[in-house]
Amino acid sequence: MKVKILQWHAVASWTWDAHDDACGICRMAFDGCCPDCKMPGDDCPLMWGACNHAFHLHCILKWVNSQSPRPQCPMCRRDWKFRGD
Amino acid sequence: MSSSGYGQKEKVLSRIAANRLQKELTEWQVNAPCGFKHKVTDSLQRWIIEVHGAPNTLYEGEQFHLQVDFPEHYPMEAPQVIFMQVPPMHPHIYSNGHICLDILYDSWSPAMTVSSICISILSMLSSSTVKARPPDDDRYVRNCRNGRSPKETRWWFHDDKV
Repeated sequence: MKVKILQWHAVASWTWDAHDDACGICRMAFDGCCPDCKMPGDDCPLMWGACNHAFHLHCILKWVNSQSPRPQCPMCRRDWKFRGD
Repeated sequence: MSSSGYGQKEKVLSRIAANRLQKELTEWQVNAPCGFKHKVTDSLQRWIIEVHGAPNTLYEGEQFHLQVDFPEHYPMEAPQVIFMQVPPMHPHIYSNGHICLDILYDSWSPAMTVSSICISILSMLSSSTVKARPPDDDRYVRNCRNGRSPKETRWWFHDDKV
């Protein structure tokens, strides 16, 4: 038997694998975006610290830049390092 | 001078700050920290909070008021938190309402909330064993007379017992 596909309607869903629902800094959902952005996803990515705490990239950058030279993780106070640095 | 006094720049809240405060207020309305009551005003930037001394502590039955002012870039910066008159008699609370508590200054983290601040303050009150002013109360209050914010003080946090 041969099947001829005339139309194919694919639906995909995605979610960040952050082990938490909301960013600890702005309190917006991880699957949403930070208050400065309009579109969730690649435009407003998450960033993990070496301590495994995740935040919106834009949120953690604001904090880290305001805390030089020794920023700490907002959640656990360990010295902040981007995971994989 | 308005009662805000404290030399804080009265800048409007950033979008992030307004957004987060709105969320905190909503969360507070469904789940307020025990012993606290937010007094409704039309300002998101200044919260007045009623504090009830916890049962079986030195402050049982007493009532105080906190004034919380949020800076433009909250929560990247800590809010200014002071007791309004008359502040509780406590070794870390000055008679002008300023509170010596590290999380309000050097140890602030943007993951903290008004609610978590309230809990820290109540815990500080509840563990007190003596109703007294800090030993340097007179000197400190005199130095703040021109309406200085406690956020401009260089605090020394030397005592974590109370």
